[in-house]
Amino acid sequence: MEFFLEILINGVLTGSLYGLTALGLTLVFGVMKIINFAHGTFLMVCMYMTYGLGVGFGLDPYLCIILVVPAAFVLGYLSQVVFVQPVLKAERDVREPVGVLLLTAGLWIAVNNLFLMLFGANFRSLKTPYSDQVFEFGQMLISRPLFYAFVFSLGATAILALFLRHTHMGRAIRVVGQDREAASLMGVDIYRIYRIAFGLGIATLGVAGAIITPMLYVHPFAGDIYDIRAFVIVVLGGLGSVPGALLGGIIIGVIESVASQYLTMSWAAALIYMIFLLVLFVRPQGIFGFEKDS
Amino acid sequence: MSAMPPSGKNRWTDPAFYLPVLFISVLLVNPLIIRSTTFTQVSILVLWYACLTASWNLVGGFAGVLPLGHAVFAGIGAYTSTLLFIHAGLSPWIGMLVGGAIAAVVALLIGVPTFKLHGAYYALSSIAFVEVVRIITENTQQIGSLKINGVQGLLVPLRGHAPLYFQFDGKLWYYYIIVALLLIIIYITYRIHRSRMGFYLVAGGEDQEAAESLGINVTRYKLVALSLSAFFTALTGTFYAQLVLYVFPQGIISLNLSFEIAFIAIIGGRGTLLGPVIGALILVPIGEISRIYLSGSQFIGIHLFFYGTIIVLAMLYKPSGMMRSIQTGYDRLVHKLRGASASAQHEGER
Amino acid sequence: MRRANILFFSLLLACALAVGPAAAQDTVKIGILLPLSGPAAPIGVNSLNGHKMAVEEINAGGGIPSLGGAKIELVVADSGGDPKNGLTQAERLITKDNVVSIMGAYQSSVTYPSTQVAEKYEVPYIVPSSYKPEITERGFKYTFRVCLTTDLAGREQIAFMERMGRLSGKPVKTLGLIYENSDWGISSAELWKKYAKDFNLEVVLDESYPSNSTTLDPVVRKLKQAKPDALLFASYTSDAILLAKGIAQQKINPMVYMGTAGGHADPVFIQNVGDASNYYFDLAETSPDIDLPIARETNEKYKKVYGEDMSDDCIKCYTSTYVLAKAIEIAASTDPKDIRRVLANIFMIPGQKGIITPYGIQFDEKGQNIHARGVVIQTLNQKRVVVYPSELALPGATIVWPTPGWDQR
Repeated sequence: MEFFLEILINGVLTGSLYGLTALGLTLVFGVMKIINFAHGTFLMVCMYMTYGLGVGFGLDPYLCIILVVPAAFVLGYLSQVVFVQPVLKAERDVREPVGVLLLTAGLWIAVNNLFLMLFGANFRSLKTPYSDQVFEFGQMLISRPLFYAFVFSLGATAILALFLRHTHMGRAIRVVGQDREAASLMGVDIYRIYRIAFGLGIATLGVAGAIITPMLYVHPFAGDIYDIRAFVIVVLGGLGSVPGALLGGIIIGVIESVASQYLTMSWAAALIYMIFLLVLFVRPQGIFGFEKDS
Repeated sequence: MSAMPPSGKNRWTDPAFYLPVLFISVLLVNPLIIRSTTFTQVSILVLWYACLTASWNLVGGFAGVLPLGHAVFAGIGAYTSTLLFIHAGLSPWIGMLVGGAIAAVVALLIGVPTFKLHGAYYALSSIAFVEVVRIITENTQQIGSLKINGVQGLLVPLRGHAPLYFQFDGKLWYYYIIVALLLIIIYITYRIHRSRMGFYLVAGGEDQEAAESLGINVTRYKLVALSLSAFFTALTGTFYAQLVLYVFPQGIISLNLSFEIAFIAIIGGRGTLLGPVIGALILVPIGEISRIYLSGSQFIGIHLFFYGTIIVLAMLYKPSGMMRSIQTGYDRLVHKLRGASASAQHEGER
Repeated sequence: MRRANILFFSLLLACALAVGPAAAQDTVKIGILLPLSGPAAPIGVNSLNGHKMAVEEINAGGGIPSLGGAKIELVVADSGGDPKNGLTQAERLITKDNVVSIMGAYQSSVTYPSTQVAEKYEVPYIVPSSYKPEITERGFKYTFRVCLTTDLAGREQIAFMERMGRLSGKPVKTLGLIYENSDWGISSAELWKKYAKDFNLEVVLDESYPSNSTTLDPVVRKLKQAKPDALLFASYTSDAILLAKGIAQQKINPMVYMGTAGGHADPVFIQNVGDASNYYFDLAETSPDIDLPIARETNEKYKKVYGEDMSDDCIKCYTSTYVLAKAIEIAASTDPKDIRRVLANIFMIPGQKGIITPYGIQFDEKGQNIHARGVVIQTLNQKRVVVYPSELALPGATIVWPTPGWDQR
């Protein structure tokens, strides 16, 4: 029983982190209706930033959040200006734009390999005093950085949800997501909203990058392993739904953790994709999504 | 193509007829003139990708959907023909058609639920489709008594030079087979483009609701297109198995392959008849040449960096692909040649 | 559009012609096929450095004397780890660059089909480091493998554990098999199971995982439940790191950890894991600290140039280059057929010029090196030390068996 509880807790903790990595993806989709294939690449860049600050200046990764998040916002904002916006504008009249999907897929390949050229293919770990520490609850051992990751994930999700609900800018972002034409008629500069939303989406990865770094390793392809999982989560939680991303993440985390105890991890992964396809066919708007988004 | 070949006895003097014929002949005699195995091998790869992309183009070429699951159909082709060859001794020539048929059926089964999805949802579902199939293949040693060998993959038993068993000792054989396959796929695409079905597909892609309100069953046409596309993709998959003589899940049922196909289509021109060929002619040699010249340098990954950059630049500056400009140039050439011969005829009449 | 077609084809042709400068009379061309891009690129670069250093030494020492001091020229091709690129490149090396032999290709999935090309053109293909047993089971006349196979490696690991258990009086009874789910991991596990039966060991955990996982915590927890005496790993670098960190975190304490080179032999493993990498055994084929003076000297020299120790693959590639050079020297010919005839009968022993593997080189009729065998390495104080067989271990090297508990470290 205790063992099962441990598995469950572990699933929830890991899942919340998955949820955090999917947060930016769902926000961007909610507003622009596009999927950013370079999402994992941005995560990787944030991990390198954290690692650089940690090694170069001896900064604690959690402290790095203060620096990495604004940097990530700027990075996202500029990427929107330079890359995404021109393609979006060109496809303005197309009902189902897919140009951005391919653009971001191209960015994904280019930037990953740029980092490979610059930093080589070696795996690097940022060592912190708590990297290998655990919390002990009786027989249960819960990884400390993983627990911290859970706390930060909940915090970041809550802040983003509150921001969208209660600030002027947050409401503007939601309005654009719900009805682009109406927002445009109301005098909202939708491309400005897009830029800010994209920046915010990448900023959430700043948090994720900082809290992943002490547990995982840093590598040019380290973001990719979160990438496709994040796609699954956003659809499961409902594309565009912020709390849905967190819950979707936790569901995936628990399925992975529990199923892996009875199957192998590979089959657990296959199971996740099958559940994903099932949800997609039965309820394409996702568990927490709205009908009109599909 | 906008410049159509006229019927009648005079077509040998019409550039819109003799130019394509000329180009196809060039394609056919090319490897006989340039007798370099490397050249032939790279040409085979170019044509192989062109075949894959041309098949993909039957569905992906019409606006609205971005299928990223075609690697599965290629995998079905490669695995079916190889399994039939190993276990039943059936020639891959026949296995290829069986694989195509199976892929077409699978496409129908997967197409019914997925075509309800749009845009990003469709793309994501097709990604999940590839991942599920890959993981299951990798983790299955055998189905009943059928050994599929999981992640280790299957080796095609060697028969030496055996044309009846799709194994040859020279590259030229493979070259002509893939040329033939490409011409067939392009011909079929050409017919579809010019048929009512092509019109409906384009209309449905642009605005499915509007098209359906006019009483067009868009989904049905899409399904037919998808299964045709899957059929040809599977044939291409068998060709791969016979060329490499080794099939394993990550080699063919991979997201990478799916993305490569989409990239080639975009560079060439999505939805155009010859865009896939143009795209393959551009991207595949770039990949091969940069691999030769840039690899082994201090900067590992540099050639993929270029590859990615080209995609990004193409999306920014040439989102409709190269085909449109090439088409314009071609039309102008036809016009010029036609004008020359026409004025010559006028001279004669006077 | 076909105009562009012609343009491109002629462009291609131009490139093809421009690639190789006209062959000078006094060079012997050898093709190298390695993954120089993609995930395995660091290993490819390492291996290439091994070839390069050997060639530089041979050329500086007067080239191939029997060919009038002809110099060796390496023609390098990148497989990208992709079988179909491997085929193209092997074909290019043989038909365009006219190499007299090929060496490569690290990944078995590339080596397997590309050796077929060499067989067809009757050009010798030396395989320094691909483990898939089937590569030398097709009866090819032109394929020569220097290294071990998964079969031999698996047997040595289990035999070593059984033997150590007997000698120390603290035998291992149960095994936990943990392996990544690609060809290498799966086929290693199959062989472990086969040999576990032969040596009467019980497998209590048989767990494969995808190497590119965000977390391997589920595997670690299963391990905690199953409590095997010995752990056998077949892991790449990133997963080896995650597993070792997780095992340390959960304070799981088996008697023995045994890796199968790969990630556990990657210097990055120790750098990332730190003290948790101590006491790991690893079955490799050689190591920079091996008791073979020439190997240690070569390693010192290598370290000066490339700034790191030679990896296993690097050492095998270096040795293979010398084997090939010797064969060309004896054949006194650049005809691939003559070179093959010599290779089929060659016999070289460790310590002979250029042979820095701890085993000799002699191929059976299928092309497998009959002397290839493994060495067991243990990591102590974050340093890899050869501990077995004892004649290859430096004096003073001792085996720590079993692993001390986490509270006693």
